[in-house]
Amino acid sequence: MRVTDIFVRGIVRDNPVFVLLLGLCPSLAVTTGLVDAVGMGLAATFVLVCSNLIVSLARGVIPTQVRIPCFIVVIATFVTIVQMVMSAYFPDLKASLGIYLPLIVVNCIILGRAEAFASRNKVYRSVVDGLGMGAGFTLALCAIALVREVLGSWRLFGVPISGGADSYTLTLFVLAPGGFLAMGLLLALFNYLGAERQRRLALAEQGVEESPDEPVTDASGT
Amino acid sequence: MFDLTAFVIALLVTAGIGTALGLVLAWGGRRFHVETDPRIQQVEDALPGINCGACGYAGCAAYAEAIVSEGAPMSLCAPGGADTAHAVARVMGAEVEAAEPKLSVTCCQGGHVDMRFDYHGVQDCRAAHVAGQAGGRKACTYGCLGFGTCARACPFGAITMSPERIPVVDWDKCTGCGRCVEVCPRGLNRVDPESYYVFVLCQSHDKGAVVNKLCDRGCIACRRCEKACPFDAIHVIDNLAVIDYTKCTACGKCVEACPKNTIVSFRKQRRARKKAREQAAQAREGAA
Amino acid sequence: METALVYFQIMFLAVFVQNFVLSKFLGLCPFVGVSKRRSSAFGMGMAVIFVMTLASLITMLIYRGIFLHPRLAQYQLDQYLKIVCFIVVIAALVQFVEMAMHKLAPPLYKSLGIYLPLITTNCAILGVTELNVIRFTGESETLGGAVAKSAVNGIFAGVGFTLALVIMAGIRERLDSAPIPEALRGVPIAFVAAACMALAFFGFAGMV
Repeated sequence: MRVTDIFVRGIVRDNPVFVLLLGLCPSLAVTTGLVDAVGMGLAATFVLVCSNLIVSLARGVIPTQVRIPCFIVVIATFVTIVQMVMSAYFPDLKASLGIYLPLIVVNCIILGRAEAFASRNKVYRSVVDGLGMGAGFTLALCAIALVREVLGSWRLFGVPISGGADSYTLTLFVLAPGGFLAMGLLLALFNYLGAERQRRLALAEQGVEESPDEPVTDASGT
Repeated sequence: MFDLTAFVIALLVTAGIGTALGLVLAWGGRRFHVETDPRIQQVEDALPGINCGACGYAGCAAYAEAIVSEGAPMSLCAPGGADTAHAVARVMGAEVEAAEPKLSVTCCQGGHVDMRFDYHGVQDCRAAHVAGQAGGRKACTYGCLGFGTCARACPFGAITMSPERIPVVDWDKCTGCGRCVEVCPRGLNRVDPESYYVFVLCQSHDKGAVVNKLCDRGCIACRRCEKACPFDAIHVIDNLAVIDYTKCTACGKCVEACPKNTIVSFRKQRRARKKAREQAAQAREGAA
Repeated sequence: METALVYFQIMFLAVFVQNFVLSKFLGLCPFVGVSKRRSSAFGMGMAVIFVMTLASLITMLIYRGIFLHPRLAQYQLDQYLKIVCFIVVIAALVQFVEMAMHKLAPPLYKSLGIYLPLITTNCAILGVTELNVIRFTGESETLGGAVAKSAVNGIFAGVGFTLALVIMAGIRERLDSAPIPEALRGVPIAFVAAACMALAFFGFAGMV
């Protein structure tokens, strides 16, 4: 697989949040605002890239039976580094991310990629995979945060969109239930777009022309 | 700038905790060692791993344990069929006779039946069966409701719904596990050995005149099959023809005699399947 | 009397007001993955309660006993060793529990055992240990008091998790036979159901 393909795959086709359904906890917890979402996404990308790098470098050395604890320790180290850097340079971000910053350690994406990709591939490809998955994760978080922040507090990156920021809000969306709701509906949208695309591709292959007035349905027509 | 003491202390604490945990785990590994017969895992690997329960045990792991510890018969796995039985036998170092495959048949042809009412409810046969005072929405209260509960229940994807909303069984995928029999609220599905060829595809106990009006494929209890059968294998009991498979030889006379085409014979298809299977088994033995 | 009230408060917070799944978004992966049947949801919940309690106990002991020990306090180990040590302890604990259960309680192992490997990376376990550290390491907390409160928090956080999981499983079993649009089928509609549940639990806010 070409290296650019590895990167692009992590963004749409194998998007960790919407397709693989990994890393759901931060996807709902830190997406009340775009600032937090971007911050979390970049922190996770950093940890992912670094851990992929180290795991790939050490892939010949780590024995199979103890590989999972080894991966976890490597990931925990980088999360600690991120935490300390954030305490020093971005204390506000660290305060708003709260306990979800250390929880990057148990983010299934990072452990999953270390196990499934970095432990079996060369360093360069593992790093690119980390970048791709991290980018996909960040974009997914931003998508959810966009919906929640705009609908829930009528702001973008903390800045009110127009006057009267408090009067156009559906506060539900910045609260816990709204997070679930936004996530569910976005997932449904993603599924629908994916299915539509597959349907069009399949029809194109069969050479069927579809007019807007008569949509093509299955033979069973249920 | 670089505090050596702090570095060493941190290293010692982490190494200490890690070593302590490692020792506890090593001790635990010894103390809690469980002797398992390695064959149980090998048998479990040979089984399909679908956990359908057709063997009568609570999943593949339980069946594997029963085979090794209690000497359970090795050919009970219906989905796995002969291949699995042979694989299990190889692990256990024994010979085995493969069981005859069992296949599912739906005893309803869904002839053009009127609906009693419009149904807007849970799209599930079990739920729809209770609607309308347990009569269901079709004018024939014994017939297939067509919501596809059996199709969804089939773990092997062997059942699909035809355009007339009657289940169609793909016998290449059917393993005779019996899930479809369990879920049908009207008991229309039945699982029989492959060597049964003739089936009465109706379960209506309504009087013949009533069935005649309701459905163009239902059994009207005219008894022509009973009179045609030279082996006394088919009788009309409670307005429905019933085949006694201990006597039936699949001669097909009842099939010809039935005026509504309710009785059907699958002789040709099933004999072809059996032949193909025997040829494959011979080829495998020839190669082994 | 005052102590009993404190423990009641911990319990109520953990199960209802700050339910780990519906309010704090922890443990969502098993929430979506294991909640299709009530029996498996209950099994997962029991395993989580068990691991959460033990993990809370051991990590709080290590944190107060080693990291905050007067002789080691100057090195500020809690600043950077916390995450690594906690996660290593949790992983080892889960492994140990699985081995012990297999030998000492085989029927329990048969029913719960398969969920144990899934719990190691469950963010709820690490989350509860982190929360214990934040809440119960004030100046006035004794070692015994901190450990006891952590254990209680662990138990009832697990109970809250189980509660959410079992309710969700009940809802999803019903959703199986409902006419849901294709795009929403599976996980999306489960999230919408979770939104309704979270809204219901939101009613507990401000009670304690």
